Amino acid sequence: MELLLTNLAHGFSVALSFENLLFALLGCVIGTAIGVLPGIGPVATISLLLPITFGQPATTAIIMLAGIYYGAQYGGSTTAILLNLPGEVSSVVTTLEGYKMARNGRAGAALATAALGSFFAGTVSTILVAASGPLLTQVALSFGPADYFSLMLLGLIISAVLAQGSVVKAVGMVVLGVSLGLVGTDVQTGQQRFTFGIPELSDGIGFVSIAMGMFGIAEIILNLERPESRSILSSKVGSLFLTREELKRATPSVLRGTALGSVLGILPGGGASLAAFGAYMMERRISKGRHEFGSGAIEGVAGPEAANNAAAQTSFIPLLTLGIPANAVMALMVGALIIQGIQPGPRMVEAQPDLFWGLIASMWVGNLMLLVINLPMIGVWVKLLQVPYRYLYPSILIFCSIGVYSLNNNVFDVYQTLFFGLFGYLCSKLRLEAAPMLIGFVLGPMMEEHLRRAMLLSRGDVMVFVERPISATLLAIGAIALITMLLPNIRKKKEEALAE
Amino acid sequence: MSRGLPRRLLMLGAAAAAVPGQVRAQAWPNGPVRIVVPFAPGGSTDLSARFLAEGLSQRLGVSVVVENRPGAGATTGSQLVADSAPDGQTLVMSNIASHAISPSLYRNLRYDPVRSFTHIAMVITNPSVWVVNRDSGIRNLRDLVAQARERRGGLDMASSGSGSSNHLLIVRFSQMNGIEFTHVPFRGAGPAMTAVIAGQVPMMSDSLPSAAGHIRQGSVRAIAMSSAERHPSFPEVPTFREQGFDLVSTSWFALSGPAGLPPAITERLHRETMAVVGTPEARARFAELGGSPGDMTPQEFTAFVAEEVARWAPVVRASGATVD
Amino acid sequence: MKLNTKDLIGGGLLVLVAVVGLWLNQDHTLGTARRMGPGYMPMLSFWILLGLGAIVVLSGLFNGPDPLDKWTPLEIYAVPLGVVAFFIGYYLAGMVGFTGWYPLGFGALAGCLAFSVAPGWRPLGLVHAGMAVFGLMLEQFGLMVSIVGCVIVASLADPTHRVKGVLGMIVFLCVLCWFVFIRELDIRVPLWPVFLTQ
Repeated sequence: MELLLTNLAHGFSVALSFENLLFALLGCVIGTAIGVLPGIGPVATISLLLPITFGQPATTAIIMLAGIYYGAQYGGSTTAILLNLPGEVSSVVTTLEGYKMARNGRAGAALATAALGSFFAGTVSTILVAASGPLLTQVALSFGPADYFSLMLLGLIISAVLAQGSVVKAVGMVVLGVSLGLVGTDVQTGQQRFTFGIPELSDGIGFVSIAMGMFGIAEIILNLERPESRSILSSKVGSLFLTREELKRATPSVLRGTALGSVLGILPGGGASLAAFGAYMMERRISKGRHEFGSGAIEGVAGPEAANNAAAQTSFIPLLTLGIPANAVMALMVGALIIQGIQPGPRMVEAQPDLFWGLIASMWVGNLMLLVINLPMIGVWVKLLQVPYRYLYPSILIFCSIGVYSLNNNVFDVYQTLFFGLFGYLCSKLRLEAAPMLIGFVLGPMMEEHLRRAMLLSRGDVMVFVERPISATLLAIGAIALITMLLPNIRKKKEEALAE
Repeated sequence: MSRGLPRRLLMLGAAAAAVPGQVRAQAWPNGPVRIVVPFAPGGSTDLSARFLAEGLSQRLGVSVVVENRPGAGATTGSQLVADSAPDGQTLVMSNIASHAISPSLYRNLRYDPVRSFTHIAMVITNPSVWVVNRDSGIRNLRDLVAQARERRGGLDMASSGSGSSNHLLIVRFSQMNGIEFTHVPFRGAGPAMTAVIAGQVPMMSDSLPSAAGHIRQGSVRAIAMSSAERHPSFPEVPTFREQGFDLVSTSWFALSGPAGLPPAITERLHRETMAVVGTPEARARFAELGGSPGDMTPQEFTAFVAEEVARWAPVVRASGATVD
Repeated sequence: MKLNTKDLIGGGLLVLVAVVGLWLNQDHTLGTARRMGPGYMPMLSFWILLGLGAIVVLSGLFNGPDPLDKWTPLEIYAVPLGVVAFFIGYYLAGMVGFTGWYPLGFGALAGCLAFSVAPGWRPLGLVHAGMAVFGLMLEQFGLMVSIVGCVIVASLADPTHRVKGVLGMIVFLCVLCWFVFIRELDIRVPLWPVFLTQ
């Protein structure tokens, strides 16, 4: 414990140097800005800025890049709440309750919840990274392919519960998402599947295209069709900050979200994106405000936002302790470090104490900065909603189009988004929900990969899924969740039958 | 953000370069030069391209920008460059995937890896290294072969992806020794390395730069290097040849342009590239990562690409991996 | 019978995707449970999708009524018209000699415009037509002209627009996009028409 404090003190002495503070601030500002813009994500920005970091000290460079990463998380939730535009996998969930809150005139409260919840989660998970990083690595390592498959399956079951209406339709949309996720090159054999000979599809359908189309563009049209609801959107702003009641409701959700996010974040691949979904599901089942879900429950913003940010922090653990990137942003971080001649991994703690502890300390500093930048900004953001919708929607359209184009510098992505805009409109008219589909789309390909790898390694023995304790536990949870979900339906049917 | 370069000019130039126009050899470089990287940001191709771009922009006095055009086994970006005007403003970071393996993998490819390009300079080469889990009981290739014979379905062997040069090295090795193996492909080297460290898969065939840190840290054991001689940075790791298996394979990252690039431009780019990768600092950094700076004339390099295509075609066929 | 039209169409959509997917999946080897081929997972997911879609359709026969919004005859005719216009645009552009993604863009534009014939479809058709215009113009006419085109078309979707407002918005968006995307983010896209800068 004492050693930890000494180390953290050392870390803060590094992070609080003028230059490092400056670049942490710069990173946070850039990150927030690109997070707000749809389409342009941290991966593109970090790769653009990579050459600039060549000339910086390694610690400063990585502190700035890390600032961009979690700045983008904050920024992403801002557009998700205000405009129903999820730019990242993790902010899809935030749109569900956050956008509803904004429509109810509580945009300020939703944004404040996101900022405060994320800050709290960031603080806790930073301590966690510092205290038990190496230990948690062992947890990540003990996850085999069978365990991952079960985790993903659990995630999909969760997402079915997440649905607003009929469970069968929600599961159908999940499976539709899984099917769409299969488009592209098969990882195992390199074969092209369902690409219709279009080279742009060989890496799969773009997540951003689907998310922008089905959420953002479709929402524009729905708003244009209901002029009366637009006026509500722009007239009601409400108090900017949280009421005492809201604060009381959000606090337990933030705590739960932090715990879940911290655990799932250390799992490379999928873990972080599952965190937000998992937290949403949990809040929907157990929080006090579960009856308000679907009409703007603050718990549905607080839990996922906390989980999301906690996972973003703990996803540094595999990178710092094993040198293994958990996602594309982390892969770029490895690149930045390697260019500096530093190989991230177990020895980094001893070989580069300045870097290791400085980065950890700067995570917290960065979170604090984001809070300071974002809280005063809430008023400005909410003002955005008062812009008459007839001026707002062409701007959203332009920003989406440019953002989507810039992903691959290819107009195909623009047309792809157009297609999903039409499809998303159709789905909303048919009461088919987009959120479960998007989750299936994200988790499906990973699930296939792990399923096939597990079967390959077990030589075709299905028992591997129940023999491994982690996998068996996850499957049991999934089964229980499924049964508790179906039981009320069955009981209701029975009661109806008896009543007749 | 540091913004020393005239960015608007750069945009216009990049746009001009994208449109086939008349060859402007006289005033080269005419505005910014873009290097297309046919992979996503963050990989070794991307990193070497960014390193090169940084050096080239200082030497050429114009900005050299990296543009990522990933997709379809690195062929999307390569195709783009093959279709561009040969004016020296658009170049590609050619590599073993896009210019040696994919031509056999993708049957309906529109470009010819040799004739559709002007090959300028080899930038970095690096060998593959085979690493095993520390508790696997495998100390050399002989142990590996012995274990592969024992187990039903052969030994599990991991690689960074199907059709990658590391995967094909496993195929070649197994063909030569008549052993069975179960190839376990991963999405990139990182996850595969995790699986080896965790013991889910006993061995992995990896590129030296991505494995170097793990070998130094001792989280995995290196048993064989695919270079012709022992690598100067890892003198303790024996080569395949030393262990009685005649297998040499190098992965490479190079600079190429569209076919018909004026010789003067090719010559200048070759010279500047050699100067960038030949500095002592660059050499030291490459050595640490397990790579070596390239050393080939454009003619040698062109012949090398042709050899590579011929060398990998039968291996790709044997691996059963095809894309159509 | 209490027909639930939404469920019938929604379930039918899922079934349709599943059937098309299973049909396309015939090209892929299934493999064995141990060494699953590229076709294994698609087979699983499309069969499940087919089953779920069928359940939705069946339950839709009884759990209604939940009819779709009332469509005017013009709205109904506009749907097939849009689809036909898409294909006409696509093939015409191809015949005229456009390559790459241009035929797709022209098809999408034609389809969306044909859709907008019906007043009820105007928001849907014109917003998407704006996107199609943006995609068609971006690489040859540059970012500025594309913004102008896209905003003008998309503005038609909302009857409350005034000419002055649209003009102001165009100027504002051009400046903003130049600042954000060109100056700050430096994305790779031409700013002005390519034929002018040549």
